[in-house]
Amino acid sequence: MIRLLIRAAAPTLLLSLSFVLVLAVPLGGQSSSDVAVVTNADVPVDNLTLYEVRRLVLGDRDFWTPGVRVTLVLNAPGAHERDVILKTVCRMTEAQFRQHWIAKMFRADTLIRPRIVDTTDMVVDLTGRTPGAVAFVDASKVGKNVKVLKVDGLVPGERGYPLH
Amino acid sequence: MMSSHELYIFVLALMVWLAIPRASAAQPAAGGHADQPPTSTVEYPSFHLSGFADVNFAAQKATDGARGFTEGQFALHIVSALSPRVNFFGELSFSPRADAGTGTPSATGYNAEVERAIIRFDRSDQLKVSFGRYHTPVNWWNTAYHHGQWLQTTVSRPEMIQFGGRFLPVHFIGALVEGSVPASGWNVGYQGGVGNGRGNVISRGGDAGDNNARPAWLMNVFTKPDRAYGLQVGTSLYFDRVSVTGRPEFNERIIAAHAVWQREDPEVIAEIANVHHEQVGGSVTASNLAYYVQVAYRLPMASRLWKPYYRFEHIDVESTDPVFTGVPELDASTVGVRYDISTYAAIKSEFRGRRRIAGQPFTKGWFLQIAFTF
Repeated sequence: MIRLLIRAAAPTLLLSLSFVLVLAVPLGGQSSSDVAVVTNADVPVDNLTLYEVRRLVLGDRDFWTPGVRVTLVLNAPGAHERDVILKTVCRMTEAQFRQHWIAKMFRADTLIRPRIVDTTDMVVDLTGRTPGAVAFVDASKVGKNVKVLKVDGLVPGERGYPLH
Repeated sequence: MMSSHELYIFVLALMVWLAIPRASAAQPAAGGHADQPPTSTVEYPSFHLSGFADVNFAAQKATDGARGFTEGQFALHIVSALSPRVNFFGELSFSPRADAGTGTPSATGYNAEVERAIIRFDRSDQLKVSFGRYHTPVNWWNTAYHHGQWLQTTVSRPEMIQFGGRFLPVHFIGALVEGSVPASGWNVGYQGGVGNGRGNVISRGGDAGDNNARPAWLMNVFTKPDRAYGLQVGTSLYFDRVSVTGRPEFNERIIAAHAVWQREDPEVIAEIANVHHEQVGGSVTASNLAYYVQVAYRLPMASRLWKPYYRFEHIDVESTDPVFTGVPELDASTVGVRYDISTYAAIKSEFRGRRRIAGQPFTKGWFLQIAFTF
């Protein structure tokens, strides 16, 4: 009787297990990696707190040093990196973030609005070419001509790294 | 000992000196002219134009104000970078006139006004020096929303800082030094200014020159702490001499404070201002108080396009104050809701109840506004 029950239940258990395994493995092309804060190589900073990242993204900090102005480079809406920054750092929706920047410019709080770039390759390229540029890219796609900053003393991939 | 006029000239000269870039600070990178970035793709002067507009509907007694549909202000905002460190900000408004077509020559349909025209020299986050026409940074609302009705949650501004109002000086013409320092996460900002104060018509700034020998001075300090994201708390001081033709002169002192929680879950804005007048060479003094508290909340999840709000405001004017003759007192409540049709447009509907004289009944009105940016 028990053997009969096991035979009957086995296919169901196997099928359930296979579903669990399929759902647990990330789908190809879907990124769940950390988001690195990258800057132009000239930026004289190696570490930022999460609060300092927020001030950069919200345009509350215009200069790295008196000689180097911040240029914020952002991925286009819908990009994983942008979603992480808005959710984790700014705690804003896309609409709130856009409205924040319209208000920021209107108040004359800042001069340079974020530069929006379509692909990660273009983000890295523009950041590498623009003095004072800071951007956010998937940690697995960081190029050679940009500098990766620590956030709260941690590099992407380290336990406790906040941007993912 | 310096006279106040000499001190004024000295401060202005100091501001001009601060605005001039230093060789070490102005060098953006190796090589090139100090005012030109070596590899930037930005061309100077850059130019960016945006704008705000609104259409309104009011249902109220004719004695309380305009009724039916009204065209709101059409505001244009110009930002131009003249170099990496020198910027121009401008704001122009066009307001419909109730007396359009009357008089000789006929009044135009709209009043055109330069609301802001500011040239600013950025030395660092800690020091920015600018000259021009500002919205006086003695009141948070005045410098947060300017003429962008779409930016503010409500249809109307608080009456203490109403455009054309007299309680607080809305405009300031002069020079401003400003900046911010991290201060261990307290993010302390400051603004200090000197310039022409109120004009002969006290609701206007002295655009065509100061009408007395005493400049207006202002100071504003605020904090936006990292650990309380969304909070801003600050205080302002403003000193001026009010000169109106045919009347005695008065020294004016304004002390104001604000506390703002800018996130929308909830949004809380509270401001208070005390305006003190003291007759020059006389004994007449008067103290006037105004405050408001506004609370709004963006509803969660699927209802997030809706944002109900409530505001209470109060203005108390001393009847013996000759400077504020005709400035009405106020107790008012505003309750309404904002619906964001899109990221850049909103419909707002609000009821207002106002009482001008204690003991009198409230006057009521319903107002609708479609406000947007472009």
